[in-house]
Amino acid sequence: MAVNYDPALINKVFEITEPVEVKAEKIERYCAALGETNPIYTDAEAAKKGPYGEIVAPPSFAVTFRNGRHFFENVPRFGMRGFDAGKDVEFVAPIRPGDNVTLSSHVKEIYEKTGRTGTMVFVVIRSTLKNQNDQVLAHIDHRFMNRP
Amino acid sequence: MSTILDLHTHSEASEDSRAPVEAYLNWIKLRQAERPVDGIVLTEHRQFNRDADYRRLEDKFGTLVLRASEVETTYGHMLVFGVNDDMVARFDFADVRLDAQTLIDEVARMGGIVVPCHPGRPNIGLYEHYQSRPPLENVVAVEALNGGSRKGEDERSAELIAKHGFAATGGSDSHLVSLIGLCATKFSAYIKTIDDLVRELKTGNYEPVDFRPRRKTVPHAVAMETR
Repeated sequence: MAVNYDPALINKVFEITEPVEVKAEKIERYCAALGETNPIYTDAEAAKKGPYGEIVAPPSFAVTFRNGRHFFENVPRFGMRGFDAGKDVEFVAPIRPGDNVTLSSHVKEIYEKTGRTGTMVFVVIRSTLKNQNDQVLAHIDHRFMNRP
Repeated sequence: MSTILDLHTHSEASEDSRAPVEAYLNWIKLRQAERPVDGIVLTEHRQFNRDADYRRLEDKFGTLVLRASEVETTYGHMLVFGVNDDMVARFDFADVRLDAQTLIDEVARMGGIVVPCHPGRPNIGLYEHYQSRPPLENVVAVEALNGGSRKGEDERSAELIAKHGFAATGGSDSHLVSLIGLCATKFSAYIKTIDDLVRELKTGNYEPVDFRPRRKTVPHAVAMETR
């Protein structure tokens, strides 16, 4: 193990959000903001004949869901400085109007690397989005860089 | 028959790259006139994926794909060529503080070769470490040209090579598709396998090649007018 941390942190779920209902109007506003015109996201009549039988949210809608009021309050930290180092999103199933979405977040990975500017410790938090049927909708891997 | 290989590349298997191997090979095919490389060596950060199989892609694009690793040591980053089960068992590739001398000697004993990369880079290059610590033994070659170098870094590498008489390689250090093949290494021998590559790297019979586009110099008079 390269970086010193408690291995019990890995895969430990530290936050599960309350369900958030997906309203059709919110999808509509999201599409308008993005300039999305694909009828499977924007046209109820056309979407009925589409692959999902109704309007669904564009895949990137998954990233609009937030964790609790304090963003990842309980994330392990290594040092006092750092920044958001981006995210990877895996879209698993479409998000539909009426879905009640919850996020469950756990520490996926902690690793160290060295670069021009010194040593960095990366903490990867995986948030899994599920609907009311316990169906996985997406995985979001948030990467945070810490400067020890 | 010579072989030109980009000895330092990162695919999406590295956490800081988003470049698929297939996209790299397609780019090389499209840019063959400007960057005439015959193959690439994947040097993923702190890991070696022994199960990765790129034979289908090699056949599709007619480009060689070999695998190595970039590890992090007490003297900076180093490329390990000829990785085998013995090395993976002996070293934790994820450890960012591998003892450099032990790595160089043990990898050689196990049939591979270690090449310090971007030696002129601050913090993670050999040059900076050599300012305050004794030089390493048994270093055959270092990376002279790195496609990710900033101003002065390749120059410091050249200074180190001249002082210590190392053989010199080149690699793009590509993390993005469009950067593949910007720097490479030209071997006088025909290379088809990782064993061929390790054998040739040990001989010192190769040279770095630079395919980075050169900026046109701005005539002085024009520069004055546009201030």
